[in-house]
Amino acid sequence: MKITKEIIQKIEGEATLELEWENNKIDYAKIKFLNFRGIEKILENRPFLDALLITPRVCGICNTSHIIASINAIENAYVNMGIKIDITKKAKRIREFALNAEKIQNHIKWLYFSILPEILKINGEDESSIRAFEGKEWIKSQKACATILKAMSIFTGQWPHGSFCMVGGVTCDPTQGDIYESMRYIEEVEEFCEKEIFGLSLDEFISFETSIQIKSTNGNLKKILEVLVDKNLNHMGKSYDRFISFGNNSSLKNPKKCEATRVLNADINYVGESLLNSFFEPNGYTYSKSAIYKNRYYETGPIARMMIIKNPLIRDLHKRNKDSILTRIIARISEIAHLILKSKNLLKKIDIYQKSCISPNIPYDSLTSVGVGYCEAARGSLIHKVEIKQGIIKSYDIITPTVWNLGNGSRENPAVAQKAIMGLTSPNDADLVFKAFDVCAVCTTQ
Amino acid sequence: MFSKVFKILHHPQINTPYSLEDILKTDAKVDFLVIEGALSRSEKILSRFGYSFKDILDILSKKAKYIICAGSCASFGGIFRLQNEAKIFGALFSGKEKGGFWFNNSKVINISGCPMHPRWFVETLLKLHYGDKLSLDEYRRPKEVYSYLVHHGCLRNEYFEWKVDCKDYGEKEGCLFYEHGCQGPMTHANCNKILWNSVSSKTRVGSACFGCTEFDFPRLALYETKKHMSLPSAPYGISKRAYYSLAGVAKGFKIERLEKRLIDENN
Repeated sequence: MKITKEIIQKIEGEATLELEWENNKIDYAKIKFLNFRGIEKILENRPFLDALLITPRVCGICNTSHIIASINAIENAYVNMGIKIDITKKAKRIREFALNAEKIQNHIKWLYFSILPEILKINGEDESSIRAFEGKEWIKSQKACATILKAMSIFTGQWPHGSFCMVGGVTCDPTQGDIYESMRYIEEVEEFCEKEIFGLSLDEFISFETSIQIKSTNGNLKKILEVLVDKNLNHMGKSYDRFISFGNNSSLKNPKKCEATRVLNADINYVGESLLNSFFEPNGYTYSKSAIYKNRYYETGPIARMMIIKNPLIRDLHKRNKDSILTRIIARISEIAHLILKSKNLLKKIDIYQKSCISPNIPYDSLTSVGVGYCEAARGSLIHKVEIKQGIIKSYDIITPTVWNLGNGSRENPAVAQKAIMGLTSPNDADLVFKAFDVCAVCTTQ
Repeated sequence: MFSKVFKILHHPQINTPYSLEDILKTDAKVDFLVIEGALSRSEKILSRFGYSFKDILDILSKKAKYIICAGSCASFGGIFRLQNEAKIFGALFSGKEKGGFWFNNSKVINISGCPMHPRWFVETLLKLHYGDKLSLDEYRRPKEVYSYLVHHGCLRNEYFEWKVDCKDYGEKEGCLFYEHGCQGPMTHANCNKILWNSVSSKTRVGSACFGCTEFDFPRLALYETKKHMSLPSAPYGISKRAYYSLAGVAKGFKIERLEKRLIDENN
């Protein structure tokens, strides 16, 4: 048996894939995340509000998701102590809007940094148009990312690392003019997406029910679909065909899971963390923990969200290709359109005359409780758990989307991405399958 | 402008022309080595691409004309230094103390901040490229950026002047310095001059400045104002006597307009 090491480049952070080959096929894959930063430990013995500032630093690209998961965990701790937390619709909408904007720029960056270069390479095309800082398409995509972040920063103050969430709401108090300005920026990004990614209006795109309809469009989405189908890669990268999404937003209120096509309720209390193969156990080889639901692996992320809300286009792709890279990639790209339209709608509904924040009227140091908070980050469900004693953090636990998708199981019971990689015949295929998950190593090794 | 002047040879995440190994092996010199993240000499704590980070830095730092520490972790150690203060530090500093990865290295320029503002970075590189004068402060940060305080340009300045506290989060009125941990008057950065993402800043959306450009970031109890004898610290470079005398006088007056809503639609 041959063992090869592939360092996965061009992802956020660093990961190594150790591939074991048998008869020219990948027999087993170990996914190694080798840098550890210890944010959970750093949080111990600090006042609990410090988590709002420190947890976003887990990730430069998903920091808003962390502040949202963190505030949800803290507010849940108040509720568990019997203290009512009232959050106005205005504050809820601002939080969701910010989270959406962050997801949009994440997906666009992944598309232009990680996936398009691979697709062009596979298709033998010149990739100079998406070369960083030079390529015309690359520059346009960057401008769209900067613009969506402006739309968001009007409410969050800045990106990355805005500190706009507070117990009981948000810190900002926008004027109507601020909302118009934010809308102007979103419309610019919408235009970019229509022209470059989808090749038609977003309203038309979200009405698609079959993947054949994509063939009539003219954008990067169509290109990716065609290259993957032409090169027979559309069935590659299948895993368990099991999905999970905890929701907590206007598209998905409550946790759900999806077994192939059947959607069922899920319960956060069944989420566990496996330390198998991690450095926290003997013979471990990675800093990544693995997230499990009732001892089983589930995939999280846009594909999971789309399968759970029964999006017709993704359901159609799934019918033909199951949970392959094709469905996974198209789901992530499609979500951009949905997020933009949802965000415009959220903005329109913000009533500036509602209160932004209703602070609970008790001193911080009287809080002794535990809380769980979650939200949907770009790469999937993000969970924070906090234990507070007299206002001080006793323990903090973060379960990121990447530990759902890219954990390490065993040969008999591999984790989601491991299963997707096993059986492939080339390191390049493994690299593409890996990237389709939108790997984020820094999230994993917080 | 940036992409016309500079060529990015390698970046671990984005699509750039050379791999790290190409850069390590070449004899060619580079103008800038940009470091992100806290540093360590321990291979166990920090390695990349199968090399210890110490080895990578030893090679690359010799090739570079300037070493740019992008952000507070690379400058002072930042949040991640708190995991192991003896072994994790910035390039030249460990918190306030001199001596990080290097004790002396005249190539290093710190652009602290969590995050660093992209303009601070680009403008520093442009100055070096064009040979324009670049003055550095005691922490080797560009003076043009770090001589300002976050307080400069804060929309709540008037509330600070008249000592009107912010009553609750989520309102346009009141200053966050007295009770909510705002470090604006002692934090070096031009956030409220150039704004973030060109549109806003922490204080403009009613959140406090947490002092992310300073060596002691992140302080303990970030959302609380540390007080001595129930008084907050004096702003940077202002004597206690001057500040407390003036504050006492200002606090003695009740300014009716500042007690009201900024946009009072009923009146």
